[in-house]
Amino acid sequence: MFDESLVGYTAPPFTVPVERGKVVELARALGLQDRIHLDVDVARDEGRDDVVAPPTFSTVMSFWRPELDDDPIRYDVRRAVAGGAEWEYLGEIVAGDVLTVTMQVTSVEHKVGRRGPMTLLTREFSFVNQRDDLVLRLSTTSIELGDGGN
Amino acid sequence: MEIIEGGYPTVDADGISERRVGPIMLTDLVRYAGAGGDFNPMHHDDGFARAAGYPGVFAMGLLTAGLLSGYVEDAIGRERLRRFSVRYTDQVWVGDVLVMAGQRCPSTAHGEDCFDLEVRRNRSDGAVVLTGRVVAAGVATAPRSGRN
Repeated sequence: MFDESLVGYTAPPFTVPVERGKVVELARALGLQDRIHLDVDVARDEGRDDVVAPPTFSTVMSFWRPELDDDPIRYDVRRAVAGGAEWEYLGEIVAGDVLTVTMQVTSVEHKVGRRGPMTLLTREFSFVNQRDDLVLRLSTTSIELGDGGN
Repeated sequence: MEIIEGGYPTVDADGISERRVGPIMLTDLVRYAGAGGDFNPMHHDDGFARAAGYPGVFAMGLLTAGLLSGYVEDAIGRERLRRFSVRYTDQVWVGDVLVMAGQRCPSTAHGEDCFDLEVRRNRSDGAVVLTGRVVAAGVATAPRSGRN
């Protein structure tokens, strides 16, 4: 259950190596047509060192996020649904980059929607590369359906 | 899953021409699970999804968002994207074809172009499964010449 005490919680930063294989795998899974995500030669012809991460590449961080014994954000997957996301693109992410990710909980809201009571948890992530450039900001909203029993 | 129609979306004063993608099959969900790292059984285990009260598995929101990001890139150009936001409004079921469209909205105070985005599923209900917005730097209103 998400509760207001989570607001302001900051997770320990972690690093995400941007691997060529994961960039290409995600681009293929999404059927992306821009070859700059898929073909190193195309990326190099366009002046990049390697393939360029797709717009929703941030999801790949889930492979690198450490599991915390005391993670305060816990929910029941049967009652959880994704609410939405917003990406702000501040720079390019290219295979070979190493990103440092920080996350903070910015809001917990209770609402009553089409499917009854729900709790919305909003998290903001920032992605900083190995040159200390902030390249991406991401805000995500997760929804927990029901009143959580409390 | 493939682009059925609208492989080369064009942009004009009103918005972005439609694209149809699909049908979204279970294999597409499994493939996306591995690529993106979402192993919530709700998206690949029918028994689990039914026990949770759904008629069956449904697509990850981020799969729909990612497919939409490809539409936006092809219409506007990857390097021009500044902000891309999505809100999930309904489920995408196995077998659905997605219909993507963009309507121009007023330019931002910084002169950036803005498009309201919508993804519908091609069932009889035609439900909107995602609404979103993209803000982009300096988009020309002329169609892009070919792909890059």
